[in-house]
Parts: sequence; structure tokens; C-alpha cells
Amino acid sequence: MSSVELLQALGSKYSAEILDATDEPRSAQELSEELDIPIATCYRRIDELTDHDLLKLHDNVLSDERRRIKVYRRNVDGIRVSFESALSVDIEERSEVTNTLDEAWRSL
Amino acid sequence: MVELTKTGIDGLDEILNGGIVSHSTTLLSGPPGAGKSILGLQYIYNGIEQFDEPGVYLSFEEDTTDLREAAESLGFDNWQHHVDAGDIKIYDKQVLLREHDFNASLEILLEELDNNDYRRLVLDSLSMFGLFFDEERERRTYLLKFLDILGENGLTSLMTTEQEAGYPEKDINMENFLTDGNIYLLQTPTESGVNRYIWVAKMRKKNVQTDIFPMEIDTGGITVYENASAFSMLNEDDSPL
Repeated sequence: MSSVELLQALGSKYSAEILDATDEPRSAQELSEELDIPIATCYRRIDELTDHDLLKLHDNVLSDERRRIKVYRRNVDGIRVSFESALSVDIEERSEVTNTLDEAWRSL
Repeated sequence: MVELTKTGIDGLDEILNGGIVSHSTTLLSGPPGAGKSILGLQYIYNGIEQFDEPGVYLSFEEDTTDLREAAESLGFDNWQHHVDAGDIKIYDKQVLLREHDFNASLEILLEELDNNDYRRLVLDSLSMFGLFFDEERERRTYLLKFLDILGENGLTSLMTTEQEAGYPEKDINMENFLTDGNIYLLQTPTESGVNRYIWVAKMRKKNVQTDIFPMEIDTGGITVYENASAFSMLNEDDSPL
């Protein structure tokens, strides 16, 4: 996926709000309600962000009505856009507790 | 002869036949109110006060002020002095749970453990630590790695968990098998208050007295009564198990 496409996905209406809100896992329904996004648009944005690895399917949780609900978490801590040589977009992936422990353990 | 770390708690080092095995992790189990956090505070406080060993106290349950008040109410008058001097390093719930970002705190902690000469660590509670992992297998794997990291950094650790002793069919947590030692705190209500007991159920690489001993919590913290006859005099009805 090209840098330009990634920036377009990021620039779509509500994308930034969705990434901002998904520090903890959220369902499409919750995001739609919390951020006041039409539900169809919300699903489209989630697909788009997931395609670009900016958002990640975190889990299928069981709802009160015993239905499976997909919850999503953002997969990035930061994004750096550079125009120095050619356009480049650096995604700083979200660090996880497991990564941190793996790293510390390997360096023992 | 294995190296030992003394708890400095009257009676407890005696039933441990000298202390906890150094660089190991011991699980401290018991119901709410049994004295787990108090034992943790005392272990860290005695560490610097009696043995010149700096320690780290990680609490998901309380903030720095709660800990200070708890310590001072037990008569650990120099608690704040040691905190200010950096000999007792506290990571309280506000720090650990700041913006849900436990990972950032963990990174800081691991770096500090690497750069400093802490000798003792208390994690209150291990149950909360487990919540940062998605499934059981992952939790076990990373708990083992965490224990390795602590041991390699020269730390002798106590970790609390809310688990009752004596009902293995109910829930024996995996943690019991992963940690090097198991100490249970028990309590039974009586007409006049509560009877408290301590049971060192396991200590790897070490012979310990595995009887159940009475203990008290008072000014100065926990005192364990090594004299088992005090316990054998109890009625069977009073048995904590």
C-alpha cells in the first residue's frame, strides 16, 4: 500500500477520531455512538484503517445477548510523514506489554 | 547453602529456617484483610531499615498516600524518609494505570531495575498484573519471563494474590506452580475479633516448617508465633482449614 493511500485513509473523515478513541478495544457500535458517526460510515472507516494496519481486530467478545462482537484497537503510537528525499510515512507501532517483556528477557 | 533474604518479621524468618531464598519469587495468598499488603510493606521497610537493602513497591491497589498512611499506622515511622531518599521506590496505582498505559510504566520499571541496585520487590497484586494479557497461556509465559527478569536483576520478590488456602478443587491458580514459594495468610472470625495464621506451604530449594502458625498484626506490623503449641491448643472448630 502506498504512502499516499495511507495518508488518504488517515485523512478520511472520522479516521483520526476513531484512532484516538481506540486506545482500549471498542466495537463499531460503540464508536458510532460515542463519536456520532453514521454506522455504515463507521464500518467503512474501520475496514479502511484495518487494511492499512492502523487499526487491529483485537478480539471477538460475547455481548449481553450472547452475540459475537468484534472489538478494535489502534495499532499505532504515532505516525511520521517525511518529504525529505521522497514522501515516506513511518508508522510507529504500538508497543505492547508482551513486546516489552520479550525484549527485556532476551537481553538477560 | 543457598543465599537467603530475611523478612525481618519476628517469627517468620524462624519458620522459614532463615529467610526467603534470594532472587526467588514467593506468592503471598489470602483473602482480603488477611494482611498481605501489610506483610509486603513490612518486608520492604525492614529491607532498608534493618538490612540496608533498597526495595520497590508496586501497587495496583493503593496510591502513595494510602501506602504512607498504612506504613505509618503500623509504626514504620521512617517510611517517608526512605521514600524521599529513593531507598523505597513506589509505583502506585496512579502511575501504573496512568492512561491505561501499563506498558509505559513497565518500560520505566525495567529500566530502573537495570540501573539501580534494588534488592527487594513487592507486587500487589499479581492478579491485576495478569489482566494485561489476553489469554491464560500468554499470561503464564510472560509471568515466567517477568520472574526471570526480576531474579536476574538480583531481586527477591513477594507477589500477592487473593486466593484462599485449602480448597484445591475450587481454584488452584497456575501462579502457585510458577512461583518458587507459597505463603498463605488465613483468618477465622472469633467472638472477640479474628484469629490470624500463616502457612508456608512451599519454598523451593529449602526446608521450611510447613505447620500453620498463629500470627498477630499490631503496631510494628506482623508477628508470627513460632511456638506451635499456641496453635495446637486451639479447638478443632477454630482450625483455619
